[in-house]
Amino acid sequence: MNQMTKNLIYTLGVIVLLAIPLIASDFLTTMIIRIMYYSLLAIGFAFLAGQLGLISLAIPAFMAVSGYTIGILETRGLLSFPFSVLAAMLMVLVIGAVFGIFVNRSQGIYFLMLTLILGQIVWAIVLQWASFTKGSSGIIGIEKPDIMKWRLGETEVGFYYILLVCFILIVLAVLALTRSSFGLKLKGIRESETRMKMLGYPVARLKWTAFMISAFISGTAGVFFVYYTGVMHPSSINLDSAAMVLIASIFGGVQSIIGAILGMSIIKTFEISLSGLTQRYLIIIGTMFLLVIIYAPKGLMGLIYKNKYMQSLYQHWYRGGKKDE
Amino acid sequence: MMLNEGVRNLSQSFKCCSILFMFILVIAFSVGCSSETGTNESSSANETGAPNDHHAEQNDENGETAEESTDNGEIHIGVVGPMTGGFAVYGENVVRGVELALDEVDHQFDGREIVLHAEDSQADVEQLVTKLDSLKQRDGVDVIIGPSTGDEGEAAVQWAQNNQDILIMPGYSAPEDLTMREQTPNLIRAGWTDSQTIFHFGQFVTDELGYEKIIMVGQDYAFPWGQAAGFKRGFYENGGKEVYTIWHPTDTLDFSSILGEIQGLADEYDAVMYNGGGADAIAFYNGWEQYGMDQHYPQLLAGTNVADVPILSEISTHFEGVYSSMHYSEDLDHEENIKFRESYREKYGEEADAIVLQGYDTMKVILQALEQTGGETSDVEQLRETILSLEINDSPRGPFHFDEYGQAVQNIYIKETKVVDGQLQNEVVKTYEAVSQFGPYEGWEEEYMSQPPNARDFPADTAEEYFEHLAEYFGQDYIDELEANGGWAE
Repeated sequence: MNQMTKNLIYTLGVIVLLAIPLIASDFLTTMIIRIMYYSLLAIGFAFLAGQLGLISLAIPAFMAVSGYTIGILETRGLLSFPFSVLAAMLMVLVIGAVFGIFVNRSQGIYFLMLTLILGQIVWAIVLQWASFTKGSSGIIGIEKPDIMKWRLGETEVGFYYILLVCFILIVLAVLALTRSSFGLKLKGIRESETRMKMLGYPVARLKWTAFMISAFISGTAGVFFVYYTGVMHPSSINLDSAAMVLIASIFGGVQSIIGAILGMSIIKTFEISLSGLTQRYLIIIGTMFLLVIIYAPKGLMGLIYKNKYMQSLYQHWYRGGKKDE
Repeated sequence: MMLNEGVRNLSQSFKCCSILFMFILVIAFSVGCSSETGTNESSSANETGAPNDHHAEQNDENGETAEESTDNGEIHIGVVGPMTGGFAVYGENVVRGVELALDEVDHQFDGREIVLHAEDSQADVEQLVTKLDSLKQRDGVDVIIGPSTGDEGEAAVQWAQNNQDILIMPGYSAPEDLTMREQTPNLIRAGWTDSQTIFHFGQFVTDELGYEKIIMVGQDYAFPWGQAAGFKRGFYENGGKEVYTIWHPTDTLDFSSILGEIQGLADEYDAVMYNGGGADAIAFYNGWEQYGMDQHYPQLLAGTNVADVPILSEISTHFEGVYSSMHYSEDLDHEENIKFRESYREKYGEEADAIVLQGYDTMKVILQALEQTGGETSDVEQLRETILSLEINDSPRGPFHFDEYGQAVQNIYIKETKVVDGQLQNEVVKTYEAVSQFGPYEGWEEEYMSQPPNARDFPADTAEEYFEHLAEYFGQDYIDELEANGGWAE
């Protein structure tokens, strides 16, 4: 495929994405917005899982940190947009840094257990420190800032465009990261941590940085989540949501970022469209997950990358096309 | 070797088959979804035809209502609530109640079919908002019934504020602020509030039973907090001295430590009240019996949900004589209630409870309002006025109407459990008529709402602290009047 067609395809893609809120129904737009911010969570997860081979169950905890920071600051009138968002992201980085210190020397199942505990601690604090977080009543009344309410004609498009830009930037940035020398070092750690140590790389610091990046991406998801739903509630960040991120990412294929997005899109689409048809939709999603795990252990993307052309794309995106040369 | 290859071939083809099967499944579902919406659109397009053309044109000016009017042939009712997970009964029973009410009219209104869309919120507020959006945008429903738990209610009121063009009527959701401090014109509740059902129970416990110091064990979330608040107000303002509260996380099934603590306090306190619901309540009853707590306390009191039908059928007849209060009692002997319980038993083979009742009543209210508006639902303001002016006299719970905030004003029954035919059943011992959500504070609405919302530790645990707060918001005059009357005036 030559450069020309490629550019054409990209331009078309961008135009379609930009036009969605204008041409599609409200329902479809809402669904795409939800898929995008949940995909950010999945990207945060897949970055750690794919690059480092670490399964983190603390992903929703960072969504909680940014969401609750914004919720508390804005509903109490302490700070408003955009400073509340800055404060929230700062908070995510601080908490990410602290959590990172706890987990960066562990691997495998121990990492999973530690992040599980940290995630549950955040959840428990949010639930029980009722005077601060309103506990199980949840924080309500968080308003979208004006810039996100920007209208183009009749339709409100501000939120969608801001989310879309952030989403694309994050995807491109993460893809670039995986190709960078930093990404290669992370892959080295995934393959053999002791060898990387022996070669003189600061393994703990690299893992810590990767953890922070993942926390940052999840925190961004929290910002959009809280502005879009207008509520922040412990049920959104409990173990179920951690499991949801895990399942969606594995479903799509955890070794690739695109796979995580695909998995989350399928799970969310099915959840919304199936639940209108039957109350037992969770069984159907569960069965699908089972089939994927048995017959495509690398997820849906693993299936797709078996195709030669798609494989070359994979090499291009994740390895800078090095294998082809 | 041959065998090995055969097996490999077999597994290969099996693999292919199952992948194929999965994709067929995916495609089938997506086609299923789209074809459903497709037929909806086409059928409504047919029916919108000539007579409604001017109507559609009219609505074209404000985009969103135009969408609704495309469904003119059918009336769409959305129900949202938890249908899976630990709270599932609160969602499913509301749906059953709604279906029962629709059965009575044969799912028809004025020749138009009434279509029900039930959505699962998983008791998760993000899911709830998603499903509310789906109901409105995808299914184009005219009225939404739901949600059903306290946390969801708080989120739903926010959603209602942002979506003023659709009426939402909570199913079993009880936080009083839905129709009080955060009230919005498009939310009307034909159900209960957490405090409304229990204000007078506090009064009853101190006036009639003569208790001054109570231990309250409750689940640690919004609904029991609201119940505790209403109870404490009635209790303190009529002479109660102290309510010692012990909060436990939901899904506690072992009460040994709490019961141990309570046993040690038996000399100081007069009675114990359990303020929770679901499996926790059953576990509490069982623990109470196993630890022989009757020897230490003469009386067990119960929050509104604790002595409802589904729980009574799960515990032993040992618990005769438990007092509680609610806006419904299964033993009410007027005709509507008997008919309601019979038809429910016939359809589902179970006993109806208050959750079913609220789904049923909410749907009946909507039907009555539709009759008055001629099936018109797009004008929410008109619909609200119609509903607020209704006088419901045929409800199984007794007569009720709505206050200006959109909350039902109804009878509150003090109930006592009795063994009837070897089965526990509630019996009404006292009725307080036409109690509003402000209970005894009618005429003091502004003062009541100027207080902070009910919380885990508000109102306080002792009468002394309570009256300090009360003086701050209601003024000393109110307290003097209380003292002169010796409590609430009857």
